[in-house]
Amino acid sequence: MLYQPSLEASYDQCLKCHACTVNCPISSVSTEFGGPKQLGPELQRMTQNQGILDDASIELCTLCGTCDRTCPENIHVSSLTAYLKETHAEEVGTKFRDIVLSKAEWVGKLASTFAPVTNATMKLKPARKVMEWIMEIPAERNFPEYRFNNFKRKYKIKESTTERKVAYFAGCYATYNAPDVADSFVKVMEYNGIEVAVPKQNCCGVPMFANGQMKAGKKNAQSNIDSFLSYVDQGYDVVMTCSSCTLAMKKEYPGYMQTEEAQRLAENVYDADEYLRILYEKGELNDSLSALNDKAAYYAPCHMKGQGIGNPAMDMLELIPGYQIEDMAAGCCGQCGTFGFKKEKYSYSMALGDTMVDSKSMAESDYVVTECGMCKNQFDQLTDKEVRHPIQVLRQSYELN
Amino acid sequence: MEIFETEVAVIGGGMTGVGVLRDLALRGVNAVLIEQFDLGHGTSTRNHGLLHSGGRYAVKDKEAAVESYQENLILKKTVPGSIEETGGLFVKVPDDPDDYVEKWVNACNTIGIPIEEVPLQIAFAEEPYLNRKAEVVYRIPDGAVDPFTMLVDVTADAVEKGARVLTYHEVTHIETTNAQVSYITVKDRYTGEEKQIHTKLVVNAAGPWSANIAKLANVPMKIINNKGMLTVLNNRINKQVINRLRMPGDADIFVPAHNVTIFGTTGINVEHPDDTSLQREEFEHMIMKGKDLIPTLPQIRMIRAFSGSRPLFQETESSDASGRNVTRGMALLDHEQRDGLKGFITITSGKLTTFRYMAEKTVDLVCEKLGITSNCQTAEVAVPHREAKQALENINLTPVAKKKLFSWAGVNASSIKANLLKDNSIVCECESVTWAEIESALPEKGQFNLGDIRRRTRLGMGPCQGTFCYRRAAAMAVEKGVATSDEAEIALQNGVEKRSKGMRVIATGSANKQLELMDGINYVSLGMKKGGETYV
Ligand SMILES: Cc1cc2nc3c(=O)[nH]c(=O)nc-3n(C[C@H](O)[C@H](O)[C@H](O)COP(=O)(O)OP(=O)(O)OC[C@H]3O[C@@H](n4cnc5c(N)ncnc54)[C@H](O)[C@@H]3O)c2cc1C
Ligand code: SF4
Ligand code: SF4
Repeated sequence: MLYQPSLEASYDQCLKCHACTVNCPISSVSTEFGGPKQLGPELQRMTQNQGILDDASIELCTLCGTCDRTCPENIHVSSLTAYLKETHAEEVGTKFRDIVLSKAEWVGKLASTFAPVTNATMKLKPARKVMEWIMEIPAERNFPEYRFNNFKRKYKIKESTTERKVAYFAGCYATYNAPDVADSFVKVMEYNGIEVAVPKQNCCGVPMFANGQMKAGKKNAQSNIDSFLSYVDQGYDVVMTCSSCTLAMKKEYPGYMQTEEAQRLAENVYDADEYLRILYEKGELNDSLSALNDKAAYYAPCHMKGQGIGNPAMDMLELIPGYQIEDMAAGCCGQCGTFGFKKEKYSYSMALGDTMVDSKSMAESDYVVTECGMCKNQFDQLTDKEVRHPIQVLRQSYELN
Repeated sequence: MEIFETEVAVIGGGMTGVGVLRDLALRGVNAVLIEQFDLGHGTSTRNHGLLHSGGRYAVKDKEAAVESYQENLILKKTVPGSIEETGGLFVKVPDDPDDYVEKWVNACNTIGIPIEEVPLQIAFAEEPYLNRKAEVVYRIPDGAVDPFTMLVDVTADAVEKGARVLTYHEVTHIETTNAQVSYITVKDRYTGEEKQIHTKLVVNAAGPWSANIAKLANVPMKIINNKGMLTVLNNRINKQVINRLRMPGDADIFVPAHNVTIFGTTGINVEHPDDTSLQREEFEHMIMKGKDLIPTLPQIRMIRAFSGSRPLFQETESSDASGRNVTRGMALLDHEQRDGLKGFITITSGKLTTFRYMAEKTVDLVCEKLGITSNCQTAEVAVPHREAKQALENINLTPVAKKKLFSWAGVNASSIKANLLKDNSIVCECESVTWAEIESALPEKGQFNLGDIRRRTRLGMGPCQGTFCYRRAAAMAVEKGVATSDEAEIALQNGVEKRSKGMRVIATGSANKQLELMDGINYVSLGMKKGGETYV
């Protein structure tokens, strides 16, 4: 389990070592940004009992959580920056665009209802120009496609009848944009004799936190906690395929909510490959995986690194006979959820993408493997590589049998 | 040897001395102040920074309480830039005697100190760290005073009005002819050069060193130096001053000061005025006692500790063992009357809060001696405020650094603004100090000294205690031609050693890690020498 310091006690422990700022992706491309040390522990200290202070540069923080994972004192720095985002949003009001972007679920529902139209519109130059003009979303920016046949529409099982029980949190991306990831997850679990239940769920809240909508995000968090905890109480394990949603449940919920419930849920949440790796270690994994002679490059999303569970996707994919996979060992992709969709952040987003684009292992690969749909969007923008979710690759290997 | 003349020479650049200097300047009396190190080398920067409202002395020392309350009101008006009107609480916790509360309430009412009982729930909401077992809480108009800025501002105003100040000059000799002071000799600490200052009157405002100065003039005098320890909490844990509602004792006051809280204190008599040693046992004793008001105190991170001595004047040679029962009211000695030496006056004891009143009484006596008729103006004429929001509203700086400057820059706003246009880098991140502030705090001549800069800008006062910013400041000073690399190197060694002394005594938990990081960076990674050359 991740170490969960309490919000208040933690910033006090800052040793001013600068590790967080040195590693913050945004600090590496922007001098405007105060950086995690300044906008986290330092600002807290300098405003405690002296009133609040808004710092507009907090808009640049992507909540990637790199600061949390680099801090030697285990300070939950990004909780502090998330709260500062809220202060800022309250101080200056939230842009219409940011409200739209923060409501991934609402946008997803709407867009997938009109999926063919939405996707066509997003490819239309004049429509994108209008979006750039009204919404400040750059016309050059690639947008994930929306699927009419979304996962929610198709998969209705709410209770599992198998011995091992998995409650699946799909997240907005696998629900509305990439239902194939959700389908693949269900299939892979099936191959392992597990029936997947899909409890009532809302957007995990990450896009809201990132846009300063702390209250709305916490509302979603609470409803997800209530819904999934009732499954946990019946012996279910909560398993997820989106790295950002997973990290939110593992780390952000306990950090922001500060409740025992959030903590208890966090202790029962697993990344899909992490979960499969546990099955493997216990000797419960269905190991009839067929050979795949692919050469893949693995890209670790920030929110995967933040979970501190090593590299479960590669651990699993390496079990496939003949499969070659290499870690790209790249930095932040620069899409950073809703961040990269914003006009004023577009140049940073592009600059950040560099380490990823320059990767040698990617150049030599057949395709890229990553868990995060937003990172995929950046690959789609900057490269012509195909991008797959690890669970899709595993499914392919099982199905070849 | 330089020889010059002045009407009055004031010895000691503490709050008392600079108060006397400004009062003299406002009355048009020509005066020079001599300080052996930087302003505030003594007790005036080594105290709690509590602007008393008289509550602490109400029961025991009515006179001191009255003086404190009057001065509290006057200083809020006349030195507004250095005072935060935080208000204060007096809190009775279990085991504090019940009858003291009644005595205290009656005493405050008699003296006229406005007090108001605070419902416990409100007190807890205002001060979440306060002991939930507190039984009685009263509100009182205490304040927090920044002794660093107050010293600098009062001095600057005196200089502006014609006074002269010699810092880093030690008074080494007092010449008397026919039972009258004729001149004093002072020695420049940097160059070793001597100066002779011919004067009709010397005011001895040397605080804990007053007896030494008296000795230079062959006047017998007994001062008890009562050393008190204080610690700096990592954060500002309280909004207002928190005092304990009982007979004054150890470790019973928490004063908010900018981004920190100052907690203390103790009282131990020491022989030498230079004794600022710090003992671990004393610190632990304080934490144990302080827990009564703030139960989580042992878990709260500290930045450092420091100590200073209360100069307590004793008319008889018989020493009081505890030091606490000697009056804290001031001692103004007319040595002509007392010892038959003309042209020599001592002003000592007292408090930071009553410095202006002490100065007024002293200068009244000075004027009487010099045959000058001029009324004191310091109760009405204010020193310039530090507020500078308008002047700096549009500067390009991080919001937190801007916020500091808005209540800090004061009369320096335009020079800081000009400096910021050239370079807006932040040197000290813990306290958001810019290079621009450092530049405008540098003395026109004299050596590059990080301590002097710290006292004027808060450089290095935060949790890292100069680990990063002292080095940055020294490097920038060399780069910008403000200091030679030798000067910068010595300044750095001295600065770091002084900072770590205060850290070492409290070093547990995070504070210890911070110290280890500091030592590791300086002595291991960067190969800095320990115990480097000291230049003063
Ligand atoms: C622990 C503690 C806490 C306190 N808390 C408070 C408080 O909260 N509120 C309050 O109102 N008061 C407080 N006080 C009291 C207050 O700090 C002192 O009364 C006051 O600062 C004394 O100022 P001073 O100018 O008389 O002495 P100092 O500040 O000591 O000044 C004397 C100066 O004389 C200089 N000097 C000495 N010898 C020579 C020489 N030979 N040549 C040239 N210069 C020389 C010294 O370097 C020194 O700077 C506290 C005191 C202590 C010790
Ligand atoms: S969350 Fe990411 S972008 Fe934000 S401060 Fe931390 S490291 Fe930087
Ligand atoms: S990494 Fe942690 S300890 Fe180091 S500066 Fe950042 S918050 Fe402080």
